[in-house]
Amino acid sequence: MPAIDVKDLRKEFRVQKNREGLTGAFKDLFKREYTEVAAVKDISFTIPEGEICGYIGENGAGKSTTIKMLTGILVPTSGQLKVNGYVPYQEREKFVREIGVVFGQRSQLWWDIGVIESFQLLRKVYRVPEDQYRKRLNELVERLQLGDLLTRPVRKLSLGQRMRCELVASLLHNPSILFLDEPTIGLDIVVKTEIRDFLKMLNREHGTTILLTTHDLQDIEALCSRVIMLDDGRIIYDGGLEELKEKWSKGREIRFQFTSRPKLEELVPLTRDFPDVQWTSEDELTASMWLPHHINVSDALSRVVGAKEIRDIKIIETNTDEIVREIYKSGSAEARKHGQASGENGGSPAGQKETVPNA
Amino acid sequence: MFFHAMLFWEYLKNYAKTRLTYRADFWIEVLSDLAFQAMNLIVILIAFQHTPTLGGWTESEVVFVYGFFMVPFGIFSCFFNLWNFSDRYIVKGEMDRILTRPAYNLVQIMLENMDPPSLFGSLVGLVIMAITSAQMGMTYGFLDILVLILLVAGAVLIYFGIYTALTAIAFYSDSPTGILPLMYNIQNYGRYPVNIYNKVMRFILTWLIPFAFVGVYPAAFFLERSQTDDIRMAFLTPVVGLVFAAIGLAVWNFGVKRYRGAGS
Repeated sequence: MPAIDVKDLRKEFRVQKNREGLTGAFKDLFKREYTEVAAVKDISFTIPEGEICGYIGENGAGKSTTIKMLTGILVPTSGQLKVNGYVPYQEREKFVREIGVVFGQRSQLWWDIGVIESFQLLRKVYRVPEDQYRKRLNELVERLQLGDLLTRPVRKLSLGQRMRCELVASLLHNPSILFLDEPTIGLDIVVKTEIRDFLKMLNREHGTTILLTTHDLQDIEALCSRVIMLDDGRIIYDGGLEELKEKWSKGREIRFQFTSRPKLEELVPLTRDFPDVQWTSEDELTASMWLPHHINVSDALSRVVGAKEIRDIKIIETNTDEIVREIYKSGSAEARKHGQASGENGGSPAGQKETVPNA
Repeated sequence: MFFHAMLFWEYLKNYAKTRLTYRADFWIEVLSDLAFQAMNLIVILIAFQHTPTLGGWTESEVVFVYGFFMVPFGIFSCFFNLWNFSDRYIVKGEMDRILTRPAYNLVQIMLENMDPPSLFGSLVGLVIMAITSAQMGMTYGFLDILVLILLVAGAVLIYFGIYTALTAIAFYSDSPTGILPLMYNIQNYGRYPVNIYNKVMRFILTWLIPFAFVGVYPAAFFLERSQTDDIRMAFLTPVVGLVFAAIGLAVWNFGVKRYRGAGS
């Protein structure tokens, strides 16, 4: 049985149209007009048990709406939905005992009382037996190094400390699925790394299925074997992160630092027999060569090395941020045909610089 | 049921822990609640300076009704402190958190906002009932106590039903409505004898917004006023309570299905 099974899931919201001006407002008073806005448009996916899946997309792409449907908060407009064998919104109270939810921007802890008091209350709400609770709490506290924070009131914790406590709060009842909505938002790099390591450990040792939304692609790179990318309520990519990179990054950039000022007119002819290679001049002594994947680095390099004196060489892989930005911009994850308009395509960082195609 | 009763205890403990840090706050709240009730009582006392009876009711009787009125109202106020529901749970989206926890959502919200100082009002109400009973030479048997509990429970359910339904409007409409304060004012009519109002008003207070059942009808049972059919009405209190509570819950549950969350 898959942990999450979604088929043709759709959520529409009725939004009131506000007419312009005072007369418009007056008309609205008596007769309102509504428009149906679909936030999630017939999406389908399956997540097997024990997977860590990243759910990404621009603001307003429908990520949170999906998470809210999966956790039983919202009732879908249409489509089928099964999480842990339950239909979330129908058997909500039974269903939520087996899931953990963390909303990065909202706290589930009591503001004025010690963290441990919140945990105690959650233990009762989730009906966790005392001995199991102790064992679990000790393990989590040790892993996340919360020891001396437990008696402090939440309002006196830093964001990083609070977020670690939120994680513990959502895991006290040992859920088999954990939903995280932007768990690392606003955190410093140390806490981010700590939380990522913790989630990896959780997945490895307890087999917890994790679905997280994030805007930080490093979260995805560190954690997820799989990415689902959403745009305007539709899934535009569903698969491994590596494949996404391979499919979208079409090459790499090799940055040369020369001993004397390079001239593009001299550099371009060097790689004349590789028509896809592009040269860009960076500054006084540096120039970059953009190389598609089908050309070996050694081949291209040997042409330059023989002809010019080089002080330094750097090979730059396209990073995920750039790839994803490109995909968001184009609104589709289906990689465009090779060799077409390469300057604007994902992977080439040369887009906004002076580019001389080698043709 | 047992589970939710246990949760009540747990939330109460947390409430106490929070409040113990702000002790002065607690007593100020109790005092201001009681001062508010005292003002109402003084209005009644002043009215009786000018007339010996009000619609055939003596001063002691009317004050007794007021005392009874305070008992269910205090209990209701303790558990139903949801006046900022729309703002906190709908606009700020805290309903999300409530819905991901394995306990009935309305119970969770009620317990989170619990206001135990209101119970002092109930206590004072009981004292007022005792004093006026003594003035009128009324005696209570064991059965009377049982009936009192039953009638108070019925009255609490009426409040609960009406205000649950009205609070649930927040699920249907984005903008906060002025209907809650309006209702809060109407409920005060229930603590005076209904026969002083005209027919339309009486009908409304009995069957549509049955606030007569939270004060005057059930209290009349103890006053043994044989000249009216108030006693029969007194025993309708639990029935009306159940009907309105059921309506309130239905509106609420339907509203939760329409909840649309907030923000991103």
